[in-house]
Order: sequence, then C-alpha cells, then structure tokens
Amino acid sequence: MRILLLLLLAVTAPALAGDEDEAALLLADKTEATAEQSRDWRVFVEAAAREARRQGAGPALHGTRLSLDARFDKTFAPGWRAVFADRLDVNRMDADAGNRDVNTLKEAYLSWQPQPDRVADLGRINVRNGVAVGYNPTDYFRAGALRSVVSLEPASLRENRLGSAMLRGQTLWNGGSLTALYSPKLADQPSDGPFSADPGATNRRARWLLALGEKLSDTLNPQWLLSGGEGQSPQLGLNLTALPNDATVAYFEWSGGTADSLAAQASLRPGDAAFRSRLSTGLTYTTPHNLSLTLEYHYNGAALDETGWNALRRGPPSDYVQYRAFVADLQDPPTRDQLFLYAFWQDALVKRLDLTAMVRYDALDHSRLQWLEARYHWARVDIALQTQLNTGQRLSNYGVLSERRMWQALVRYFF
Amino acid sequence: MKFARLFACLGLIASAAVAAAAPSAQAILAASDAIRNPDKPFALTVTLVEYRNAKQVDGNTLTVYSKADANSGQFRSLIRFVAPARDANKLMLKNGNDLWFFDPSSKASIRLSPQQRLLGQAANGDVVTVNLAKDYQAQLAAEESVLDGDRQSRRCYKLALAAITPEVTYHHIEMWLDASNSRPVKARFYTESGQLLKTAYYRRYQAQLGVERPTETVIIDGLDTNWVTVMRFTDYAWREVPEVWLQRDYLPRFKPE
Repeated sequence: MRILLLLLLAVTAPALAGDEDEAALLLADKTEATAEQSRDWRVFVEAAAREARRQGAGPALHGTRLSLDARFDKTFAPGWRAVFADRLDVNRMDADAGNRDVNTLKEAYLSWQPQPDRVADLGRINVRNGVAVGYNPTDYFRAGALRSVVSLEPASLRENRLGSAMLRGQTLWNGGSLTALYSPKLADQPSDGPFSADPGATNRRARWLLALGEKLSDTLNPQWLLSGGEGQSPQLGLNLTALPNDATVAYFEWSGGTADSLAAQASLRPGDAAFRSRLSTGLTYTTPHNLSLTLEYHYNGAALDETGWNALRRGPPSDYVQYRAFVADLQDPPTRDQLFLYAFWQDALVKRLDLTAMVRYDALDHSRLQWLEARYHWARVDIALQTQLNTGQRLSNYGVLSERRMWQALVRYFF
Repeated sequence: MKFARLFACLGLIASAAVAAAAPSAQAILAASDAIRNPDKPFALTVTLVEYRNAKQVDGNTLTVYSKADANSGQFRSLIRFVAPARDANKLMLKNGNDLWFFDPSSKASIRLSPQQRLLGQAANGDVVTVNLAKDYQAQLAAEESVLDGDRQSRRCYKLALAAITPEVTYHHIEMWLDASNSRPVKARFYTESGQLLKTAYYRRYQAQLGVERPTETVIIDGLDTNWVTVMRFTDYAWREVPEVWLQRDYLPRFKPE
C-alpha cells in the first residue's frame, strides 16, 4: 500500500509542478509591464487627524494637520546639480493649543562635481552622520534642526528637519572618502516666523567637521569624524558596522571629547569641563518572516546621572523646564542611560501592510514612550494609524510629556 | 533485483554517453553567464510585476548600474528605485556582502544584512546579475528535453550547481541550458536543506548589447507557487561605472544623467 502511495506521488508531483509553472507563465504572457521614467522630484500631501489625552484627567484634545512635502534634485548642466527640499505643515488644534503653520526649508544647495572623485557643495545641507537608529551621537548637525515635529518616529525626525548652511568638499577613492565642511554663524536667535528660513536655528555659531570613511573589508566599514566650532572643544566620533551573521547587523556609534555637562551648558551649574562620551550601540536582526528587530543601548555622558536627575526633579520647576528645553533642542537624551527597541514588520500578515513598533525606556526613572504604527499602501496612497503612550512618574523623562495617549490617522498621496 | 541492476547499468551507460558528448559543465555555465550578463559595465531598467493568486499586488521599476569585480568576477551593483513614487530615487548598493540602503529624504545610509536584502524585490536581482560560474561548481546531471518559457520543448543540459563559497544566497541550483547555444532556459534555486526557494524561466530573447539575451525572467516562489514575479529588462546600455561609485560614501552623490 505504502509503495503504491509513493508511486502515485511520484507520478503526480511533476504534473502538479508543471501546472503551477504553466499558470505562472500564462500570467507573464498577459503582463503589460511598462518601465516608468525616473523623475527629478517627489511631492506628496498628507492629511492627519489626531486625538490626545493628557496626563491625569481632562477632556480629549483634537487637531488636524495638512502637510505638503516637496523634494527636487536635478542635474542642470554636466557636473552641476541643484537640490531643494521643503515642507509646509498647517496645524489646526483645539483652542488652548492654538493653530500653527510652519514651513521647513530642509535643503537648498548647489553641487559641483568636476570629476567623479571630487565634489563641492554650497547652501543649506542636511548633513547626517551615524549608523544607529534611535540616537546618533555623531549626528553633529542635529542641534536646533527640528522646526516642526509631526511624529517621534526616528525616520520622521531625520527627514523633517532643517539642514545647516555650509560649504562642503569631498574627495573619494576606491572604498573610502574624506569630507571637510565649514558652517558659518549667520544669525543669533531662532525665528518663530511661519515662513522663515530660520538660519538662527541651525547656524547660531560657526562649526566644522572632518569625516574619513575607509572600507577595511566586506564586513568592516568604519567612519572617523572630528567636529568642532565656536565655544566647544573638538569632538572625536566613530561609526562602525559589522555582520556577525547573514541575518544580523551590529553597530557601534561613539562620540567623545572635552565638554561641559548639559546642566552646565544649560546654565544650571558652573562650568565643569571634562572628557565625556556619548554612545549608541546595538544590533538589527531580521527573521525569515520579514520582521526586523533592533535593540539599542544609549549612553549620554554629558546628561544627568541618577542623583542629578532626581535632584532636578525635586528642585525648582523653572530649572527643570530650562534643562529639558535646552536638551530637547540638542536632540540629546536628558538622562545617562536609555534602552531603545524598534521593530519593523514588512508585509505583516497581508501584502502591503507594514507594522512598526518603538519603545524608548529610560533606565534611570523607568519611564517609557511606546509608539505603534500600522501602514497600508497602494501605488500612490498610504494610509496609517499611529498611537503613542507615554508612561512614567511625575517629572520623569517620558511621564512629563503632556499627552499620555495619542491617536493619529493619516492619509498620504504621492503625485 | 535483476531489474534494479539493469536500471543501474542503463543509467551508467546513459550518463557516460552524456559525459562523452558534452563540453565541460563549468564551460557551459560560464557561457550561459555571458549570455545573461554583459562583459563590460552596463546599465539597464528592470520592471517588476508581482502577482499573488493571479492578482497583481505590486509593481516596481528599478535602474541597475553594474560592474564586475576584477578579482572575484562578481557583479557590484547600484540599484536606483524609479517607481513607485514613494520609493523614487532611493538607492541600494550591493558590493559583495557590503549592502547599503540610502534614502535621499532622510540622508540615512543604513547597512543591510543579506537576510534583509532577501526580503525585498532587489533580491530577485540575484537571479539576473550573478556570475554563477564563479561561485558554483557545475556538474552535468543529464541531457533532457524540457518545456521552456514559451512552452516549447527544448533539448537542454541539466546542470547541478553546488556552492563553493558559503556567502552565496542559494546553496545549490538546478539549471537547464539550451544544448545548442548555452542559453539559460530554466533554473531552480534551493536552500541547504533542499527547500525549493525559486523557479525561474528565462525567455523573450532579444539582441541586447551585441548578444541575444533573455529580456524577461518569470520567478515562481518555491514555498508559495501562487506568488509570481515577472521581471522585464529594457534600456540596456554600456555604462561607465567608476570604482568610487561602489561605496557607502558615494550614495548621497549618486545622480546619473
């Protein structure tokens, strides 16, 4: 009987395989695939509605947002390229929160490449270094760059920000490059003007940066950075990635140098210059089922330790507000140790549905920020539902955020 | 027992005849690589249409710039996403196991593991721009007639390819090559455990860059045979690909004419 079954399987299996192949080839016969032409621009509009519940009791807050985001990147003559990126957010909120329209001139620069291995750029450029996901100590141009925050998701914070005005040069060779840039002081103060180019947000002081990248092997690809400017000692930075196995990327991002603590920089303490490190290290593991899991540890040697943090929370509220505002502008963690978990599941359960989850955990006061998004997309349209929950004690890192729970639904259309 | 011995003898005779008449399996494989892949740096446009249960669920257009490594012979590629609009101008660099994804909006260069790359459509590029003869040891398994992508019976060499380096995506491959001209006709790609990952049909041969090349590959998923991807290749062109392009730090600079 068993032999008979095996014989039956042997006879029927090739026929079945043939049927499946035949069906696939028939589909291919009917396919009318036309290649789309590349474009120099990308434009989308996004409409969002949100509801938030505050910490403690109180009515829900409602708001809507309409955003227009445009990016243009064109080679207009041999070796010459123009880049322009801009975003307008029109926010309508409940009465006490007020309305706010914000234009963010993200980038506007000219690039000259006289030969493949030599490039110079001039204008407002979003320079972003760093291999980590949730916190980038070597992202030296992040300070003051956020003008309109529409989501705390790391990719959104990186994308929706101001570049800095600068002159940048780069030389490249096989497997490596050297970049030098100078970013001058252009203004003293940030501007609240809705359509201000806001040079005071990003170019409040002169800064410079050197970056050296050299590929040592297929698995080791380090980048060294040296950054400095008015009123600061040079800071050394390192970005390192490695492949422990086929499914895992490990990374290490470090920045260190002599600097005052953040409390001293925020004028809460006298100057206390010392060598301080910032670190973000972790790994991303991808399962065979489209799920990528990232776990990161963040260390900020310039931020308050547990004793200092508890003292600040018990002290005058004005000091707390001053410190938090100063640190938020730098996009730095306010406390010494943090954990970050990020999960991305592409084509989750059904094709075109992507799920993203993020948890930020403060290891000092045990407060948490949890963020979740479900996004479904068609060829030109995305719809997404996002929720955020901030938990923790009073005046803890995430417990202090005025909104405890937030829901946001959005639709995005690509032209 | 008698029958078993008889079959064994017939099998031996048949395989000996094949071995005597046929050229070296490795040479056939190399000839087939040369048909799929131009021998100088080149660019082409790839249009992918993806079906699930006979219904189109996705469509992408990519531009691929590719150049063989002088030492390993393997292709290094820069892949630019053209469509859909949400992915326009995003880039992927594949230089051996050095894999990077770049998004011009966030300026983020993100390193990918080989497993992450396999999840995207770009993984199907492996079925196209890969020099199999460099990474696989070929053995002639049979000479037989198979149905090609146009459902025509074609006399083929069936090659059994075994990976000679652990870095490759597929542990072993069965490949059918036209016995008269070494054109790839069909291939089956397997994991180490023998799990079928993909079946590919190479078809719609046209003269491109001086050689008759397949301009369409139909890929059938091994686990879910209702998952079908049709890849069309157009706009073949010789294209200079300077070495400095093929690194992470060039990704923000990459802006081909």
